[in-house]
Amino acid sequence: MSRKPILWISLAVLCVFIGIALAAPLIAPLGPTAITGKPLQPPDTRHLLGTNNIGQDIFAQLVFGARITLLFGFFSALFSVLISTSVGIVIGYYGGLVDEIVCRAIDIFMPIPMFVLLIVLTTFFSPQILEVSLLMGFLGSIYGIRIMRSQVLSIARMNYVEGAKAIGASDFHIMYRHILPNVMPLVMVKFVSASQHLLVMGVGLSFIGLWDTSIIDWGTMIQNAYSQGGLALGLWWWILPPGIAVVCVSLSLALIGYSLEETFNPRVGVNRL
Amino acid sequence: MISGNYLMRRLCYSGASFFVCITITFFLLHLMPGDYITNYLLSLSNTLPKEAVQQFYHQFGLDLPLTDQYLLYIINILQGQWGYSYAYGLPVFPMITEKLCWSLVLILPATVLGILTGTIVGAWSGWKSGGKLDLILFNIMIVIRAIPEFWWAIMAVMVFSFYLSWFPLGGYTSISVLSTGLSIPDVLYHAILPIALMTFFIATGNYYVMRNSMISVIGEDYITTARAKGLDEQGILWRHALKNALLPMVTITTFQCAAIVAGNVFVETVFSWPGIGLLTSEALTMRDLPLLEGIFLLDTLLTIVAMVVADILSSWVDPRIRMGNDE
Repeated sequence: MSRKPILWISLAVLCVFIGIALAAPLIAPLGPTAITGKPLQPPDTRHLLGTNNIGQDIFAQLVFGARITLLFGFFSALFSVLISTSVGIVIGYYGGLVDEIVCRAIDIFMPIPMFVLLIVLTTFFSPQILEVSLLMGFLGSIYGIRIMRSQVLSIARMNYVEGAKAIGASDFHIMYRHILPNVMPLVMVKFVSASQHLLVMGVGLSFIGLWDTSIIDWGTMIQNAYSQGGLALGLWWWILPPGIAVVCVSLSLALIGYSLEETFNPRVGVNRL
Repeated sequence: MISGNYLMRRLCYSGASFFVCITITFFLLHLMPGDYITNYLLSLSNTLPKEAVQQFYHQFGLDLPLTDQYLLYIINILQGQWGYSYAYGLPVFPMITEKLCWSLVLILPATVLGILTGTIVGAWSGWKSGGKLDLILFNIMIVIRAIPEFWWAIMAVMVFSFYLSWFPLGGYTSISVLSTGLSIPDVLYHAILPIALMTFFIATGNYYVMRNSMISVIGEDYITTARAKGLDEQGILWRHALKNALLPMVTITTFQCAAIVAGNVFVETVFSWPGIGLLTSEALTMRDLPLLEGIFLLDTLLTIVAMVVADILSSWVDPRIRMGNDE
C-alpha cells in the first residue's frame, strides 16, 4: 500500500485548516465572543453550526479557535525542536564536560512528573499563549536532546567531519554545514510529531479547564460544551465540531509524520526480507 | 552486568535527583500566582475577617519566610509527615492513598491488559511486517493514537452511554449505593468503559515499540544465521527473535507501572471518576499546596524508583548492557 495519497490528503487537510486560521476575520467577521443569536439554536443558514449556551456563534468560535490551537501547536513544536537540535548538536559534537553536565542535568530533571509540572507552570503564564507554548516547547525538548545527541555522536566520528577538521574548518562551520544537514531529516520528523503531540496536549490542557477560559480554542469549546450539558442534552452541533477539527488536524499531522519517517528512516519501514 | 560500584553511584544520583525535584516543586508551587484564600473562597475573600485569614496563614506556617517554610517541609518529609490539606483539613497521605485506590481500579487492569495486548499484537505485527494485516493494524494504531484520549472518552460516553444506554454516563457507582451499600458488580459496571478506553490507548503505545523492535531484530545477522541453519520459522520466532525484541519493553513497562500513580486526568474528568488525576486538578484550582506537594512527591518517588529498577532489570535480562560505561 502506498503512502503517497495519504500524505497528500493529510497535507491538503492541514493546509485547509491553516487557511481557515489565517482568514478567520474574513470568514467570521463578527468574531468568536460576539453574542449573535438566541442561546442553543440548532444549525441554520445564519448560524452554520448553531449557537452555544450564551448565544455565541459556534462556527465563528471554531474558526477563531483554529488560530490559537494551530499557533500553539506549531510554535511550541518549533521551539522544542530548536532547543533539542541546537543543544543536542553542541553537546554531541564537543562531548566531554559539557556533555556530562547536560546529561546529568537531564537525568536529574527526568523524574519530575512532566505533565503535572506543565499544568502547574501554565498557571504562571495562563493568559499568554506565546509564553505557554514556549514553556511547553522547552519541557518537550528535554527528551529530544538525548535523541539528537546520540545521532550527532555517531556523525561527529565520521570521516568527513575529521576531514573538515583537518582542513581547518571552524567548529561552528562543521556543526552548521556538516552535522546539521545530516540530522535534518530527523529534525523534520521530530518537528511534525512534536507539533502533533503538543497540539493535542494543549487542547487537553484547556479541556481540563486549566487555561484561562477567556481564550477560546478548541479545547475550551469542548470543555464548555461538555460541562454545560451539550452532551446530556444531545446537542451534537455544539460538541462535535471542535472535536472533529482536533481529530482532523492531529490525524493529518500524525500521518504526515509517519510518511516522513518512512521516507527518511527505512529501518522502521516495511521489512522486505 | 551491573557492578556494586555503579549501583552505589546510581543510588546517590537518585537521592540528589529526589532532592532537586522536591525543591523545584516546592518553590514552583509556593510561587504560583494566587493562593487558597483568593482562589477557592473567591466570593468570600473580601468579606472574610482579617483575623481569620491571619489565623489561616499562621496555622499553615504561610506567614514564615519561604526559606523557613522550605526547611520545615524538608524536615517534615524526612520524618514521614506529608502535611495537612488546606481544603479538607485532613492528613494528605491517607487522602492520596484513598483516591489512588479508586484510580487503581481503572488504571491497573488497563495497564496490565494494555501492555499484554500491545506487546503481543506488536510482536506479531513486526514478525509479519510488510504483510497486509500488519499494514492494516499499523494504520489502525496510528489512527487510535492520533485522536486525543479525552475525545475518545467523550465519543464513547456519547455513543455507548447516551445513545445506546449500555453504560452509565459517569461516576463510579449508581445512586442506589445510598440504600444498598457499595457493590463490586455495580462499580465494575461503571468501570468497564473507562478501562476499555485506557487499555486501547496504552496498548497502542506498546504496539509501536514492540513492532519497531521486532522489525530491527529480524534484520539482525543472527536471524539470518538461524534461517541459514535451517531452523523452522516458529523456532526462530520463539527462541531468537521474540526474546531479543522484548528487551526494550522492560524499560517501558517499568515506567508505565510507575506512571500508574499519576492516574489519568482526562479519562477521570470525562467519566467523573473520583481518582488521583481529578484530585490533582481540583487541588490545583484550589491552590491546595500540601495536597499538590504530596501528589508530586509520590509521583517523583515512584519515577525515581522505576528508573533504578529499569536499569537493574535491563542489565539483568541483557548482560550485553554494561551499566557504568557511558553508552
